[in-house]
Amino acid sequence: MFVIDALMRLIDQLQGAVFENAVQPLLYQIGLMDWSEELFDACGFALFGALEIMLAYLLFRPLELWRPVESWQDRRAVRTDVVYTLVRRIGIVPAIIFLLLTPIGATIDGYLRFKGYIPPKLEEFLPVLLAWPFVTFLLYVVLLDLAEYWRHRLQHRVFWWWALHSLHHDQRQMTLWSDDRNHVLDDVLASIWTGTIALLIGVAPAEFPLVLIAFRLIESLSHTNARLGLGRIGNSLIVGPQYHRLHHSIEHADPPFDRSRGCNFAVIFPIWDVIFRTRRRDDAYPATGVASLTGPAIRAGYLRHQLEGFRRLGAELGRLAGRRSGFAAAFPQE
Amino acid sequence: MIAAYLSNIILRSTLVLVIGVLLCSVPSGRTWAIGAVILNSDDDSLSVIDTASYRETSRTYIGRSPHHLMPTPDGKTLILAMAAGNELVFIDRATGNVRERLPASDPYQIGFSPDGKWFVATSLRLDRVDIYDGSNYQLKYRLPAPSMPSHMGFSPDSRSVYISLQGTGQLIAIDLASGKPLWTVPVGRQPAGVFVRPSGTILVANMGSDHIAEVSPQDGSILQRIRTGRGAHNFLLSPDGKTLYVSNRVAGTISLLDPATLAVTGTFVAPGGPDDMAISANGQELWVTGRWRASVNVIDRSTGAVKTTIPVGRSPHGIFVY
Repeated sequence: MFVIDALMRLIDQLQGAVFENAVQPLLYQIGLMDWSEELFDACGFALFGALEIMLAYLLFRPLELWRPVESWQDRRAVRTDVVYTLVRRIGIVPAIIFLLLTPIGATIDGYLRFKGYIPPKLEEFLPVLLAWPFVTFLLYVVLLDLAEYWRHRLQHRVFWWWALHSLHHDQRQMTLWSDDRNHVLDDVLASIWTGTIALLIGVAPAEFPLVLIAFRLIESLSHTNARLGLGRIGNSLIVGPQYHRLHHSIEHADPPFDRSRGCNFAVIFPIWDVIFRTRRRDDAYPATGVASLTGPAIRAGYLRHQLEGFRRLGAELGRLAGRRSGFAAAFPQE
Repeated sequence: MIAAYLSNIILRSTLVLVIGVLLCSVPSGRTWAIGAVILNSDDDSLSVIDTASYRETSRTYIGRSPHHLMPTPDGKTLILAMAAGNELVFIDRATGNVRERLPASDPYQIGFSPDGKWFVATSLRLDRVDIYDGSNYQLKYRLPAPSMPSHMGFSPDSRSVYISLQGTGQLIAIDLASGKPLWTVPVGRQPAGVFVRPSGTILVANMGSDHIAEVSPQDGSILQRIRTGRGAHNFLLSPDGKTLYVSNRVAGTISLLDPATLAVTGTFVAPGGPDDMAISANGQELWVTGRWRASVNVIDRSTGAVKTTIPVGRSPHGIFVY
């Protein structure tokens, strides 16, 4: 407990120092002091993100070195994922999305208030939770994970959404960095998804930021390039590297999307795969990627990979409009 | 073989770490001592500080985004405004127990008119002002107030409420009986704190600048501007009525003003983004939340020295000292 408190205190002081000495004077100069609370929170987001990255690297990189599933001479594709991780977890992409979506969210939320609708909280349905904030927090994590499971199912099922999500899956060098390999439009959709859920069940208590880091670490662990099953008990508790590798298997993410072939969609808790019958029990460590997606684009740097996402989305929308074949067919072959 | 053994150990350690973090984060039980109450807006908690030993005696989960608190007109209850929690929490001052939780819409700042007839809540995030009947908290009026309505002050006759609009640099006057705006005037960059003088003129702290503005209640015209410090943010009148304190968030100072003449008579240093203020029961100390440093500064009012800095939760905002 003392260590946790000391760590939190250290992060708090760092956040305060960065904000007070660098950010606040700038806000004052350019006349944006009304953004100070948001920017203060953004400093915290960036620091927690940095801590997540540091812990993920310290904990999981040794696993990748000791028991790699795959080894590569050319690690350029991995470097792209490092950039993805940095721009997302340090907060550059979230900041852009925040600026884009906050006015829209506030308008919708504000309109609902005038109509008398106030987003409820889980405690209103279960008042006993008021005495158990940690249980409340865990319940929110579980429900949000359920929502993530279904968002993930749709990412594979809805063709134009898959055009974006295929960017996450086209990585053939999956590592602890791959969790954040997502198209920025896909991130926007994720934010809308989560924002809508917040209107339905409110937001989770903010009291446990370090626990949130533990859950984020599970998402990094699940992409780790390491020969590690969590065993029978572990595999039913959290999503591990072998479990999630089956989901990334090159044979399971291949268009034309035979839905019965997708498996292990869960993000943190594998229970959803059991409940919705998408769990696959197998000890294999298959290669990752999308069979039909090859060529230089899947090994491209961050910006080119993002452009590739727009191209795939455009091609898929074109196909839906009946003008062209889909993005996979239009993909430049090596 | 060895590699498999080692990786197993690593994996188990990881799991133990994850579970350990989960367990260690379970909060301790609810305790309450009569002292200073601080709302930590970024970690949803309420800190209670023993004002004799200057130690935090408890930190309890209270609800999403608690920002401001104030006593009810009868003084028996504390009202806490939970912005993201969409509720008002009523705490019995004698026992410290939560007496009631009332649904409200994103309450950020709250205030009672001097006669107790009206209760007003602003929603900084949703650009809206809610006016309630002060006797039963029934919503009377909900009106749009773009943008970022923040602090408030009431006219001495309880007829009007003045609210700073941080996003547009304005001050809005609203007639409480009808719920209709009377006037809206520009006052300066990012106005925050509002204080109404006994004469009825309104002081506004302009957070995006280094001064406060005095505004006429009749038409909102600016009467004068008084320089305090960069990031002028909030006001507190000492109980003896002899000193008006202004917290300057960017400068990290507190200006002392003569309430009668508005002349600046002194400056205290208050590091860490000084925000809300309160005076101790014995009248000797000025307590200030340090928004950016997760702490509360206790300042000796006679010397201006920081007596102690007390660590509390993340982003401490509202403060109430018994």
